[in-house]
Amino acid sequence: MKYVKRLSGLLSALLWIQQSYAQEIRVGGVVTSRQDAQRIPGAVIRIKGTSQGTQADADGKYTISAHTGDTLQISFIGFQTALVPVLQHHIINISLENTDSKLQEVVVTALGISKEKKSLGYAVQELKSKDIAEARETNLVNALSGKIAGVQVTNSQGNLGSSRIVIRGETSIAGNNQPLFILDGIPVDNSQLGIGTGRDFANAISDVNPDDIASISVLKGPNAAALYGSRAANGVILIKTKTGKDTKGGIGVTVNSNATFESLLVLPDFQNVYGQGAGGQFSYKDGKGGGLNDGTDESWGPKMDGRLIPQFFSNGEAVPFVPHPNNVKDFYVTGYTLNNGLAVGGTTDKIDYRFSYNNTRQSGILPNTGITRNTFTASNTFRITPKLTLSTYADYIRTAADNLPGVDGRRGNSVTLQFIWFGRQVDVARLKNYKNPDGTDYNWNHSYYSNPYWIQNENTVGQLRNRFFGNARLSYEILDWLSANLRIGTDYYQDRRKYKVAYYTNGTPFGSYTEDNYAVGETNGEFTLNAKRKLGRDFNLDVLAGGNIRTNQFEQNYQQAPKLAVKDVYTLNNSRDPLISTSYFSKQKVYSAFGSAQLSYHNYAFVNVTARNDWSSTLPAGNNSYFYPSVNASLVVSDALHIQSKALSLLKVRGGWAQVGKDTDPYQLISTYPFNQPFGSYPLQTVSDKFLKKDLKPEITTSTEVGLEAGFLDNRLRLDVTWYNSNSRNQILLADVSPTTGYLKKLLNAGEINNRGIEVMLGLTPVTTRSGFRWDVNVNFARNVSKVIELDKEGFLNDYVLGSSGNIQVLASKGKRYGALYGKAFARDAQNRIIVNDDGTPAIDPNKKVLGYFTPNWTGGINNSFSFKGFSLSFLIDTKQGGSIWSGTNYTGIYTGVLAASLPGRDADLGGLPYYYDGQKNVQLPDHNTAAPGGAAVHHDGMIFDGYTADGKKNTRILSAEDYYKSVYNSSVNESSVYDASFIKLREIKLGYSLPQSWVHRLKLQSVNVALVARNLGYLQKHVPNIDPETAFNTGNGQGLETLQIPTTRSIGFNLNVSF
Amino acid sequence: MKKLLIPFFIIWTICFSACQKELEKINRNPNEPNTVQPDYLLSNGIKSNVDTYWGQDATMDGALLYVQYWSKIQYTDADRYIPASTSIQTVWSNFYAQGIQDFTTLAQLGDSLHNPNYKAIAIIMRSWIFQQLTDLYGDIPYRQAASIEQYLTPVYDSQRVVYNGLLAELKNANTLFTNNADVQGDVLLRGDPLRWKQFANALRLRIALRIADRDFAAAKAVFDDVAASGNILLQKDSLVKLNYLASPNQNPVGRNRETRNDYRISKSIVDKLKALGDPRLSIYATVPKDTNVIIGVTNGLPNDSAARLGFSKTSDAGAVFTATTAPAILFSYAEQQFILAEAAQRGLISGNAATLYNQAITASFAQYGISAAEAATYVTKPGVAYDGGNYKKYIGEQKWLALFGQGLEAFAEWRRLDYPQLKPALTGALNGKMPQRFTYPSSEQALNGANYKAAVARQGSDLLTTRVWFDVN
Repeated sequence: MKYVKRLSGLLSALLWIQQSYAQEIRVGGVVTSRQDAQRIPGAVIRIKGTSQGTQADADGKYTISAHTGDTLQISFIGFQTALVPVLQHHIINISLENTDSKLQEVVVTALGISKEKKSLGYAVQELKSKDIAEARETNLVNALSGKIAGVQVTNSQGNLGSSRIVIRGETSIAGNNQPLFILDGIPVDNSQLGIGTGRDFANAISDVNPDDIASISVLKGPNAAALYGSRAANGVILIKTKTGKDTKGGIGVTVNSNATFESLLVLPDFQNVYGQGAGGQFSYKDGKGGGLNDGTDESWGPKMDGRLIPQFFSNGEAVPFVPHPNNVKDFYVTGYTLNNGLAVGGTTDKIDYRFSYNNTRQSGILPNTGITRNTFTASNTFRITPKLTLSTYADYIRTAADNLPGVDGRRGNSVTLQFIWFGRQVDVARLKNYKNPDGTDYNWNHSYYSNPYWIQNENTVGQLRNRFFGNARLSYEILDWLSANLRIGTDYYQDRRKYKVAYYTNGTPFGSYTEDNYAVGETNGEFTLNAKRKLGRDFNLDVLAGGNIRTNQFEQNYQQAPKLAVKDVYTLNNSRDPLISTSYFSKQKVYSAFGSAQLSYHNYAFVNVTARNDWSSTLPAGNNSYFYPSVNASLVVSDALHIQSKALSLLKVRGGWAQVGKDTDPYQLISTYPFNQPFGSYPLQTVSDKFLKKDLKPEITTSTEVGLEAGFLDNRLRLDVTWYNSNSRNQILLADVSPTTGYLKKLLNAGEINNRGIEVMLGLTPVTTRSGFRWDVNVNFARNVSKVIELDKEGFLNDYVLGSSGNIQVLASKGKRYGALYGKAFARDAQNRIIVNDDGTPAIDPNKKVLGYFTPNWTGGINNSFSFKGFSLSFLIDTKQGGSIWSGTNYTGIYTGVLAASLPGRDADLGGLPYYYDGQKNVQLPDHNTAAPGGAAVHHDGMIFDGYTADGKKNTRILSAEDYYKSVYNSSVNESSVYDASFIKLREIKLGYSLPQSWVHRLKLQSVNVALVARNLGYLQKHVPNIDPETAFNTGNGQGLETLQIPTTRSIGFNLNVSF
Repeated sequence: MKKLLIPFFIIWTICFSACQKELEKINRNPNEPNTVQPDYLLSNGIKSNVDTYWGQDATMDGALLYVQYWSKIQYTDADRYIPASTSIQTVWSNFYAQGIQDFTTLAQLGDSLHNPNYKAIAIIMRSWIFQQLTDLYGDIPYRQAASIEQYLTPVYDSQRVVYNGLLAELKNANTLFTNNADVQGDVLLRGDPLRWKQFANALRLRIALRIADRDFAAAKAVFDDVAASGNILLQKDSLVKLNYLASPNQNPVGRNRETRNDYRISKSIVDKLKALGDPRLSIYATVPKDTNVIIGVTNGLPNDSAARLGFSKTSDAGAVFTATTAPAILFSYAEQQFILAEAAQRGLISGNAATLYNQAITASFAQYGISAAEAATYVTKPGVAYDGGNYKKYIGEQKWLALFGQGLEAFAEWRRLDYPQLKPALTGALNGKMPQRFTYPSSEQALNGANYKAAVARQGSDLLTTRVWFDVN
């Protein structure tokens, strides 16, 4: 200690001496952008090492008092910080370099450390605030779609709900494959709670307001993210929030206003020829079988040619039976998102401050659905002394929804289920008054459904989430080369959901009421020491050591009144039956120690080493400490060999090897005995259906990555290629086992999966002119090949079930690609022809088959952007190629006869064949005019399935169209409803205009930007009919199943950003 | 610098030794106990497995339709021999993971707590479940079942092995009971060792008769042994049954009727009861609102013609079966007497088959509160009066009438006796054949594939129409 004191005394003495010799002068000048010579108002000019500073005015001009020998530090968002020595000159004009000029790019890396991109031995890609805030997506995850190589985003349904993101394929067979989200150095939760409750609750990261984001950096795998340890195997998304420094001068007020309108992108193509009923017959009496087929909710009824038939609204009177082609479309409404935000920020010599408020109102495309979100943030930096800085960030978010759309095909809350069984003659406008005077529902059908408006207005799910996250960071520069950081952060939310099911709802005559409450919290405390030293003339060393303590808590409290005592009162007290209650609490804690070192040689050769050890509470005592290292290196060949030229602006090679360990969820070691609802006065306890494992080991992911970066022709052609290979072993899987073992699931610790891939990013600037016109093309491509190597050590298990819907399952199967769609197929003969049964229907193979894989072969995107003066125009095309999807909408809609695809063959005009029934079987007639023998009725809807009998003869058995379609498209055979999920989507078009500075200044403003933004405009290619191949109803791994999705949306909006 | 770091690392090290303890403590599950009480486990095992036994997946959408006790007027696929794959899976999963495993654990607890009565009861209940499973599916994992630490993929045993194993287990269980071990939580037989022994012996006779066509000697040995050990059998007119309670612990049939109206009584049994002038008709069936006459519905109607029947023109099963608190019957005195009648007829025991047959019918009448006098008249009617030369028909038909509601047992006995002679469902999906078993759930293909294939190779294709071992043509 004594030594330190003496040293600092000496240093200050030296400084004093230096100052006493320096001469105070007034310097000033203009700050401009090197790229376009535009002035930069608001640029921050500070004298390095002091708290003295100023800001450039509206014309980019500044003045400041300085001493000769001082160094001016000039910084501004989007530009690299410049250092200029103060000599004798009084005028110092400064031009700043854009940060996106590739050579000197600085990116945010693990633990929030900014590093020169060229020093990194792995791929990192960054998005700036403009990319996120303008073409606004209410779910932050969607903003990354198509822009980052190797990132796969699966859209949610409708315009509310969840989105799934996966980077470089699935590295965990069973566990969470979502990347870790880090906001200003502190992890924030992205769980999707309540999967399987029939509602698509948004994943938690969607709480973050895009306006508050300064940049997003994507660390794609363990190589980049090893320092984050356990949760980095899936990659990390680093979010840096805006601070006072990001304010562009003036009084520091920014107003952002955004209005977006959402309409249906894809709606099934319905038929409008035949109405409700069966066997061509229908007559309404009570809607549940009292009339002629009026309990049937399919459209195999009479032709809708205006014939007179009693219908649900006609009180027994026969009225014209006519189609209502838009009866489904008309039920949907235009959704909208209104977003208004205000931010106040600024910087003084002592503090940077920024406060923002944002209000987002979203209204869904289903009636009576929506979310309102209010966000308050405060971000402050206090320069307490020149060496001690305190930064704080706090974000409070209140998300409230009165009703969220129902998903997953449940009759009580999903209207998409009803619409795929809808009578095509039903006039949806007549259903709007959904309640009878006695409180029961008024509907077209009463055997299964409640009125769709009843579902939307009575059977609602409300959500209220109060969330706080924030952090405080204290940095102290102990010595010139040594600094210490202490950071404490937390993310805590309470999420309350209220599920109402009204009295008289079909299937739930007494209704029900459920409250489902969650409290989720994570706290991190982190301490780091960072030393930077020059070693001799050639080397630089940058060392970091630190520790972290993380605590996670989770609590759920679920209570249900399964049958209400009286109607319309939704409280838990209003219950006919005993309440159903469960509660769950979990806690986990991880201690970590980590370090990293970077050694660089002449700023063109770099070696980075990291190491981390975790101690996790979720693993057993002997195995709960695990260590993992990483090493990577980069060499800027063009600098090292001095071959940099106009033709070759950059050539860099990089590579690395990394390992990360991963723990598991709490309480996975010892099996327990859960309670069941008591039987009268007898409490019930059962053996858990999960067999756990006492000696769990941590999962280990090992990843190797090499890459090449090159710039040609004055960096107008930029190439970044990455190859990677990652292997995850000791995977902890809660695998399905045969129930005959006495358990349904067993925890295994042996799974292994390999992911290999290539990512290419190609940037091109075909045109750039002196007048300021610029055209950029950015292309990204990624291909990931996954292979499940092993599931269990004993080799008993060949398949792990990731998800299922009826007969079709999504599997991780040994030796195969991840995500197999495994289901029932048609029986085929040796020549691969479909075999038909005696009755002419296709036979079904009793053994299931792999029908496809949900994982794509490759993904890519092309973004073209043009800028001229204040105008910018960009459009983004996004694609996934390969991969399959099983579509519940398609098979159900054909089975029920509502889709246009069920029309061919339904009558003579539609290509049906003539036949009669001879008492035993259908017999084909030569033509439609031939009478049947014995005066038997002649039918004209005959179809013959294209198959062969078991003994190899061409099938001749004729079926009615209804029997034909029902035998080919149904829940017992999945093969006919698996489609190629490839698509090319016009993802985004953005037209922006920044008002010229001269006009803006006349209005006493800092900047005015307007933008017209359209997202998900349409398809350039799509193979699956009637649905959007990009669909997910949760963020889990059981993807590739479409179970009556809510249509996805196209959005068009307007964004206005004004700074004062 | 070094001086700064040293205290830091000392604190770090101290923390970590303390932290190890802390970490272990954090991972103690606060949500569920690590131990189980035998009485809670017993109550749960009985309740949840009787639910499966009496519930929709195995019985209402399966056996009750196959033996034409019930039929369907909505969603008729199940009645057309197109079972839902989820139903098949649920029966299998519930019986094994909730039934076999819970009772295996209870048997172990009986040992560790030195309470042999829990162990004996656990073995009897587990045997009852295994019997349901093998009756339904044929060959099943038995010897390697519910031993996950040794067998992750249990081998399927042939049905012969299963039945013989169960006979041995039941015999052994009866030797375990003591009178000084207290059993709590027994919602079936109130912990009474004598009643459990009676139930176990009745089950032994049921199984013995089931295998009699295949292995007469083994069957005979069981009957002899039960007789030799004092014929401890169900007392006259007693039932082994679970009494259901008010919602949410209501009878599964009652629960179904609260929200659904899909099932009707089958035309087959209504016609038979009518033909015989059987007084049980008005108990087994309701009178529909619109007709004043009991009308059964033909099995296997297509959805549209079933729907055309409406809701108020045909008869549902009687309130005795559909009430909220209706009991589920596991074994009746009537069934026992039918078993003894057939045993006497076939020389498995000595005794008068006709007398026992009449006792069985009288017991069935008594079960539904019909007097012995009415029974005495009934048993003399042509078509009822016993004819030993055609015992399969007489016992088959009367046992079928007596077992109404007990779908699983009736389904097994109908297959074994080939009576009553039923017509396949009108639009059945089995090319004019009737189901003879359940198919294995598809999860077995994926999770226990090799053993599944071996079982199918031995037993025959995994189809509804494949006959199980006990079912001799």
